[in-house]
Amino acid sequence: MSFTVFIQILIGGLLQGGIYALAAFGLSISFGVLNVLNVAHGEFLMLGAITSYGLFKFLGFHPLLTVLGVFPLFLLVGFLFERLLLRPIRANSPHEFLIASILVTLGASLMIEDVTFFLLEQSFISIPFSLPSLKLGGVVLPSIRLIILGAIVCLTLLVHLYLRRSFTGKAIRAMTQDKEGAMVVGVPVPRVAMITFGIGTALAAAAGAFYVILFAVTPSIGIPLTVRYLSIVILGGLGSLVGSLIGGILLGLTEALTNFYLGSHWAPASAFFLLVLILVLRPQGLFGYK
Amino acid sequence: MVQLRHLWILMILAFLVLAPEILGSYKVVFLYLTFKYLTLAASYDIVGGQMGYMNLGHSAFFGLGTYAFGILFSKGFGVAISLGLSVGVAVLFALGISYPFFRLKEAYFALATFGLITLLELLAFNLADLTEGAAGLSILPGMPGDRLLLTTYYLALATALAALATNYHIANTRFGLALVSIREDEEVAEAFGIPTFRYKQRALMISAIFPALIGGINMWQLTFTDPEGAFGIEVALVPIVMAMLGGTGTIWGPILGVIFVTVIQELLWTRMPYLHLAVYGVTLLLVGLFLPGGLVEARRHLPLFKRLKAPVKMQRCV
Repeated sequence: MSFTVFIQILIGGLLQGGIYALAAFGLSISFGVLNVLNVAHGEFLMLGAITSYGLFKFLGFHPLLTVLGVFPLFLLVGFLFERLLLRPIRANSPHEFLIASILVTLGASLMIEDVTFFLLEQSFISIPFSLPSLKLGGVVLPSIRLIILGAIVCLTLLVHLYLRRSFTGKAIRAMTQDKEGAMVVGVPVPRVAMITFGIGTALAAAAGAFYVILFAVTPSIGIPLTVRYLSIVILGGLGSLVGSLIGGILLGLTEALTNFYLGSHWAPASAFFLLVLILVLRPQGLFGYK
Repeated sequence: MVQLRHLWILMILAFLVLAPEILGSYKVVFLYLTFKYLTLAASYDIVGGQMGYMNLGHSAFFGLGTYAFGILFSKGFGVAISLGLSVGVAVLFALGISYPFFRLKEAYFALATFGLITLLELLAFNLADLTEGAAGLSILPGMPGDRLLLTTYYLALATALAALATNYHIANTRFGLALVSIREDEEVAEAFGIPTFRYKQRALMISAIFPALIGGINMWQLTFTDPEGAFGIEVALVPIVMAMLGGTGTIWGPILGVIFVTVIQELLWTRMPYLHLAVYGVTLLLVGLFLPGGLVEARRHLPLFKRLKAPVKMQRCV
């Protein structure tokens, strides 16, 4: 095997990992702040993808710009979801809260998946859009993926700045580290929780808007994607932006390498072995707070 | 002293034993499936309910039992030996995974165990020499269909009863109390001298026995399995959802949950051609919102149930 092929695989894994990272980070912050294992996260990605398709098809948005419509819309969806479904169950004991949150988000995701199946007339959707590839010294770079990766990096930087600079951003980080401490210094916990969940949902939907350009989307992609994002979150550590990025890229690379050396049917298994390895060596994740 | 309640239980048991004589084979199969889910839900409850570790990968033991039985039985071992060995495989597996997995808590544990069944499903797909891969594994049952149904019916009934009895027994021992104390506060339990890791390990191994057994029985009854049937989402989530719907950590919870879900499914599948999953989802959502303790908690919230007898609660000391 030549060196260029190896580089090619690395780049492919890197690009794939970048797309993973965006949705995974959305899951990570809402998990860090709300302690909710949000099974419905992948469904928001799926809905984001379908909304993006709708904007493209019926309102004539440019495929790469649909995200501008999807993000604010799903911010709102996230607010509503948190307010109506998650806040009421917060009154329970921690163990009951864990159970109730799984019942509610699993119920919601089954419902979303089935209703989408029912309403959607096609079995899958995708946005036909492609750009010529770039060639750099024998290495072929898919330019569409590069542009998407660039967009993801921009979005990630914006979120990063928001978390570092704004008051709400600081409150979100404070709550991830220590909820009681945050409450003591006057963080309006319910409001911050709602905003966090909104951002998490919007990030998933934004990832969906990119996803639909690269892959076909069916209503049933939600739960498997959630599982994958959850493993990235565990890999990277809760609430850590860098952790999600590295976790996502690590997963993307591992999958790409296994894909090439062992065959595509072993790729999901490699991701799992990676996960168990990290869990055994470092249970709080690569960049998690202990 | 025999109470009225005990009499009711005896009558129900007598009915279940005689059921194949009275009912048609459709209803017998229906009862058989109920026993299967009851076994899975009740054995989930040891780790998931009493100990409070949400083991989303509980069906791993079921799937292992299914495949182990199928492989051994097709190699010419007898039914009893194959069932025994498949239970052995599952218990050893539980022992093995307890070391890495019990380093995790709460949602992390739930996620990692959920990932585990995905991995096992993949292995079942990919290790085609052993499992026949995606085509699925089939066996020759060695007896005619109606006798097979009858035999597996009684085996499943016995397994379900044994699983429930084990739950009940554990709840009334020191071991069971230790599990509850782990659920309520693991650090305090540890400080009081409970060997938490050893107990968690033991609980996981006990909870592996019955799903493996019912997995083997189910394989014998169906004479076929594929990776999806052994490790798929359906068999993984439905029993856990049943246990949570009914109420985890109680004796009656899993029973109530299983009856509730199977009856709803029966009603839905005959009345409604589509959107089953959506109705199922809405039901889960509503229970999670309004009855997070499960249906056994209903009497606490709804005046309608106020006068019903209190369910047998396991946490007696907390």
